Amino acid sequence: MKWPVMQSPVLQWPGMKWLVAVVAAPVIFGAFVAARGVEPLSMYRDMLTSLVDPAQAETVLVRFAVLLLAGLAVAVPARAGLLNVGGEGQIVAGAVGAAGIGLLTDRHLPGGAVLALMVPAAMLAGAAWAGLAALLRIGVQVNEAISTLLLNFLAVDLMLGLIYAPWKDASGFGQPSSRPLPGTARLPLLANTTVNAGIVLALAALAAVWWALNRTAWGFRLRVVGGNPEAARRAGLRVGPLLLGAMLAGGALAGLAGLLHFAGTEFKLRPGMTTGFGYVGFLASWLALHRPLRVAAAALLLAAIAMAGDSLQIDAGLPAASVNVLMAVVLLVALGTRWKAKETAA
Amino acid sequence: MSLVIDVATGAVRGGTSILFVALGETIAERAGVVNLGAEGSMLTGALAAYAVTAETGDPLLGAAAGAAAGALLALVHAVLVLSRGANQLANGLVVLFLGLGLTSLFGAAYVGRSITTFEPYAVPLLSDIPVLGPVLFDHDPLTYASYLVAPAMWWLLYRSRWGLALRAAGERPEVLRTYGRSPLLVRYLAVVAGGLLAGIGGAQLSTAYANAWFENMTAGRGFIAVSLVIFAAWHPLRAVAGAYLFGAALALSPALQARGIGLNQFVLDALPYLVTLIALVVLGRRRGNTAPESLAKVFDMTGRST
Repeated sequence: MKWPVMQSPVLQWPGMKWLVAVVAAPVIFGAFVAARGVEPLSMYRDMLTSLVDPAQAETVLVRFAVLLLAGLAVAVPARAGLLNVGGEGQIVAGAVGAAGIGLLTDRHLPGGAVLALMVPAAMLAGAAWAGLAALLRIGVQVNEAISTLLLNFLAVDLMLGLIYAPWKDASGFGQPSSRPLPGTARLPLLANTTVNAGIVLALAALAAVWWALNRTAWGFRLRVVGGNPEAARRAGLRVGPLLLGAMLAGGALAGLAGLLHFAGTEFKLRPGMTTGFGYVGFLASWLALHRPLRVAAAALLLAAIAMAGDSLQIDAGLPAASVNVLMAVVLLVALGTRWKAKETAA
Repeated sequence: MSLVIDVATGAVRGGTSILFVALGETIAERAGVVNLGAEGSMLTGALAAYAVTAETGDPLLGAAAGAAAGALLALVHAVLVLSRGANQLANGLVVLFLGLGLTSLFGAAYVGRSITTFEPYAVPLLSDIPVLGPVLFDHDPLTYASYLVAPAMWWLLYRSRWGLALRAAGERPEVLRTYGRSPLLVRYLAVVAGGLLAGIGGAQLSTAYANAWFENMTAGRGFIAVSLVIFAAWHPLRAVAGAYLFGAALALSPALQARGIGLNQFVLDALPYLVTLIALVVLGRRRGNTAPESLAKVFDMTGRST
C-alpha cells in the first residue's frame, strides 16, 4: 500500500520523522491522559520541571548508562547481521555472574578487589549467555532471534531459582533476594552526586565500540558479513568466528549493563530487578539504526521518558508504567516513517 | 493418580489462555508476519474483558470486548509493518510497550475490584467420565470454546480456500498475486485475527483463570505463546499439545507442594523453554524448512544470499 502523500520531498527529509515524533507523540499521549481526567498541559509541565531538577537528572544518567550498554549489545551483533533479542537475559546473566563472584569473595577480599573481579565476571557471564545462541546459530542453524528470546526466560528462571534456594539471604524478610553487596564493593559515586561510576564504564564502552566498528579491520569485516555472508565467505572471511565474536561482544556489553544495575543500583538480586532494560535497549538500537553514537542519543531519550513516568506517578497520580505509551508512540512514528521501506514484504 | 488428574486439570486451566494466543500467532506467522506484540494484545484483551465485565456484569460481553481490544492493537502492528515497512520484531516489541502503557493507564481503576466472572460449568454426563471428565469437562465456557477453535483452525488452514490463500501469503506471495488476490489484504486479516484470538486469551486469563486484573498480569505468557508456535512448527494441533505442556509445568509444582513435596518452582518454569530450545536443536534444519518462507526473511537480517 502506498500513500502518495508520503512520497512528497518534504516528507522524505530524514529529519522529518523526528519532527513528527516530537509533535505527534505528546499529542497522542496527551489525548489518552486527558481521557483519564488528567490535564495534559500541566502534566507535561510537571514532567519537564522534574527533568530539570538535578536529583532527577542524575537518575536519568544512571538509567542512561544501563540502556546505552543494552543498546550497544544489540548494535554490535546487528552490524554482522545478527538479531540479538536476548539483551534482557544477558543482563540478568551478567548480574548473576557479578553476584556470584560477590557472594563468593566479599567476606575475604577488600571491596575494591571484589568490584574488580565482578566486572569481568559479569561480562563473561553475559558473553557466555549470548555465545550459546551464537553457537546454536553457527552449529545447528537455530535462528538467533528465537534462541536469544527463549534464553531470556531461562536466565530469569535461573536467577529466581538461585535466589529462592541456594543464594537466598537467610536474614532477609519479605521477597526473597540474595545477600546485599557490601558498601565497599559497590560502584563508587561520582563527586557529590547520586550518579555511580557505571556511567564512566558505559561511555568507555561506547568509545571502544565506536572505534572497533568504524576504525578496525574487524569492524569492517563484520559489516561485510552483515551485508552479504555468502560474498564474505567467498572473499575468504571466516564467517563463523566473526559471527561468534560479534555475539560475544554484544553479550559482554549486556553483561556489563547487568553489573551496572547490580553494583550501582540494586546491590542484590531480586525478582523483577531488570524489568525490560534489554527490550528497551533493543528498541534504542533500532531507533538509532545500530550506529553507536546515535544509540547513545536514543538511550538518553528513552531514559528521560522513563524517568518522566516516575514524576507522572507523583504529580498526576497516574501509574508510572503509563509513560510506556509515550515511549511507544515515539518509537512507532520513528519505525514507521523510515522514508524508504527496504522490507521484502509482499 | 489424583496427582495426575490435578496436574492435567491444571494444564488445561493454565494452558488455555496461552493456547488462544498461540493459535492467533500461528495464523499471523503462517501469513508471514511475526507479532511479538501478541503479549500486548493479550494484556489489552485481559483488561478490556475485565473492565467490560465489571461495568455490564456479563463476562461474554467482556470476552467480546477483549477480542476487539486485542484485534485493535494488532491492527497497529499490521499498519506499521505492512504499510509502513517497519521491522517486524522491533515493532512487535513497541506494540507490546504500547499495550503495557495503555493497560497501566486505564487499568488502575480496576485493580483489586472483584466482579462476577465466568463460572466453571460441568458438562452433564461428559464430566462424569473417570479421569477425562474432571480434566476436560469441568471448565469455563472459553476453555470449551478453545476445544472448538483449534480443530476449526486446522480445517481452515489445510482444508479451505482461505487457508490456502493464507499459507500462500506466507510462502509465495507472488503466486497469490498471480491469481488476482492481494497478499497484503490476507496478511492484514491474518494479523488482526491473530490479535483477536490473543485478546480472547487475555479475557480467559482475567475473567476465567485469575479472576482479577493487575498491571502486567500476562507476565510473559504472550512470549511463551510465540515460542510455542515455533515449537509446534506452525501447526495448530501441535500448538494444543505445547500449550498444555506449558500449563502442566505451571501446575506441577503447586500440586506437588499440596502433597508435601517441595520443588524449586523455577526449575519447572524453565522446563518448557528448555524443551523448546532442545526441540529446535534436534529438529534444527527440518523445522527451519517448515517455517513459512517469508518468515525466514524476517528472522534472517542477512538474507539468504538473495
